[in-house]
Amino acid sequence: MSDTQEKNLDYEAEGGSVVDVHDAVRREKILPPTGQEPVSFSPIIATIIVIILGAGYFGAYGNFFRDDIYISSFYQPEPRPAGIGGDEGGDKGPWIDQWLAGGKRVYGQCAACHQPNGGGLPGQYPPLTGSEWVHGGTERLGAILLHGIQGPLTVAGQSYGTIPMPPWNALSDEQIAQVITYVRSEFGEMKDDPKAIVTTEMIGAARDKFSGKAGSWTESELLDIPADAMLPGAEVDPQTGQPVGGGEDAAAQ
Amino acid sequence: MSLDLNQATSEDIRERAAIDRSVRWPVLFFFTSAAAWLAVATLLGAVSGLKLSLPRLWESCPAMNYGRLFPMHMIALVYGWAMQAGLGVMIWLMARLTRNELKNSVTIIVAGHIWNFGVSIAMLAVWFGFGRSMPWLDFPAWIAPILFVGYLMTTLWLVPMFKARRAGEVYISEMFLLGAAVWFPWIFATSVLLVGDDGSAVMSAGTNGWYMANLIFLWFVPIGLASAYYLIPKIAGRPVYSYPLAKIGFWSLIILAPWTGFNRFIGGPFPAWIPAISGAATILLLVSVLATAINFWKTVKGDSKAKLWENSPTLRFTMFGALMFVMYGVLGALSSYFSFSKVLQFSHFVIGLDTLAVYGVFSMMIFGAIYYIVPRVTGCEWPSGKMIRTHFWFSTYGIGTVVLTMLLGGFAQAGQMNQWDSSFILSVEVGNRWVVGRIIAWLLITFSNLGFFYQLALMFFGRGRRTAGATLMPESAH
Repeated sequence: MSDTQEKNLDYEAEGGSVVDVHDAVRREKILPPTGQEPVSFSPIIATIIVIILGAGYFGAYGNFFRDDIYISSFYQPEPRPAGIGGDEGGDKGPWIDQWLAGGKRVYGQCAACHQPNGGGLPGQYPPLTGSEWVHGGTERLGAILLHGIQGPLTVAGQSYGTIPMPPWNALSDEQIAQVITYVRSEFGEMKDDPKAIVTTEMIGAARDKFSGKAGSWTESELLDIPADAMLPGAEVDPQTGQPVGGGEDAAAQ
Repeated sequence: MSLDLNQATSEDIRERAAIDRSVRWPVLFFFTSAAAWLAVATLLGAVSGLKLSLPRLWESCPAMNYGRLFPMHMIALVYGWAMQAGLGVMIWLMARLTRNELKNSVTIIVAGHIWNFGVSIAMLAVWFGFGRSMPWLDFPAWIAPILFVGYLMTTLWLVPMFKARRAGEVYISEMFLLGAAVWFPWIFATSVLLVGDDGSAVMSAGTNGWYMANLIFLWFVPIGLASAYYLIPKIAGRPVYSYPLAKIGFWSLIILAPWTGFNRFIGGPFPAWIPAISGAATILLLVSVLATAINFWKTVKGDSKAKLWENSPTLRFTMFGALMFVMYGVLGALSSYFSFSKVLQFSHFVIGLDTLAVYGVFSMMIFGAIYYIVPRVTGCEWPSGKMIRTHFWFSTYGIGTVVLTMLLGGFAQAGQMNQWDSSFILSVEVGNRWVVGRIIAWLLITFSNLGFFYQLALMFFGRGRRTAGATLMPESAH
């Protein structure tokens, strides 16, 4: 034992003979030349199976590289509880209920981040419930939906990080109007408040107004829009969906 | 040690010793500072889990928020520990494979200091609240050039080494090493430039996912595999089973990996084909995983009577890492499917999967390499095989606990999240029961590494065992 010990101690010495080299290096085997076994049958079969799986997957979800399809037809979201949203058919009840049901359907795309109950995710996605951005004027909300937000944003006294809110301008005017109405009614504590209602016409006006906007909004840009600014458009009757009273004049406020 | 045909000639031995001596200080620098970051990372893993589990803890102190502790944990784990240890392995392996002595050890040690400086600044920046919520790129963008310079100054030397290699077939590990060396600057620069406050907000998140997947598949995996393709045949004394198979593993990996990543946001606000093509690439990567697994398996299989994998720490850690690579490949492919991802997408499971890649796959393979390399560059043996055994088993328990509890916890949490009429806080509470598993896991891993740190420190100061014979893991009790 002591013999070996001595041999190893002078590892540091330059140009020593082989026996001086430390044991770890000495006992090391050579790196054998790589084997040239041809690829056998079973890996080829496994590879073919994997390729079929991958190609089938892309065939099913890939939509032939179409840029306008965001949700594959094969993607089935979790079923919703009965009685909320959905297409019931028959007597559809008051206009506002259908409008909100439509909004709830659209909200399914928002719920991934803002959560089904509008509570957001602490530290990541701001809540809609109790958010000053939601129950204020409609112009800010319209602007946000159409162009998205980037950078930090203070919501209900909490600052949220930089997970950006994407623009949703690919949705139709009607879908945006419905989802804003839904969010204001449900999470803005404006249920049965006519001011919660946003119409297709209003979103059309917002699209025109912000058409020159490039990129997403930052917090300071949004704050430049007055907190109580409403989108121009006629107020509608929640029962019928038809413009009420003064029509165009009511929009000017 | 009996003499056999695999024994090297005296000229070989002298050459190896000279190479090992030339890389000694840079490699040891990277390993020891990586180990120090690993200690920080494992502790932060446990503390951030604790904070997630008990949100009221240190409520008034912003620096102790989960939103800062967890990114710090990941920065320390990925850039402090994993990448740095990987750089050390790269240098040693490239010098050995191309049979070149390292002539620029001072430059590399300087580069190592720059890298460590960058990681420290990144940690502090996040801690003081200058972070961004971009996983693995949480630090402010201006820190990236520091890391970039540190990296380039280190890996640049691999290229002349490779050019001065001995004639003959390029060994499979050399391909992986050279590839990894040049891919990181590409994915890092691309992501740093595209992720951030300017540019498209949605693509920024997507690019972030792409970066994480590519750092795993184009840097961690190649370096882990390069080390495994060198060490397994070395220790087993048997040739790698098949060069063609290894080439399939290599080419399929590098062709497919750049497509992965966007499937992290499957169903997100992208045209559906973008996440779909990432998902398809992740599934097709199983070809690479399979080819590699078969190759390793066939290489060690014929050796069953010697039971080397039972005793050799290097082989044990490396093979475990390879096994986890298969598991990661399969779980990754599964999570590309809508039916799986629509449940688990934003749950704890994703964190579990990232941890599996960095610790279960890469770190385990790197531990194997470190157990092999350090005795050679320091000239002394690991003091205790029992400590290595503890390191192996508790790391195994730790990574097993992370993956299992995060998978189950992900299901529990996501089950609540996906119910329309369930309150959000319920999903947090249900998920948090499983976060306890994450705390326990990181404590196990911290404990497992204590012996590793202690032994590495002894080796660094030349206080290792001076007697002949490798340090083996005593497993006779089983």
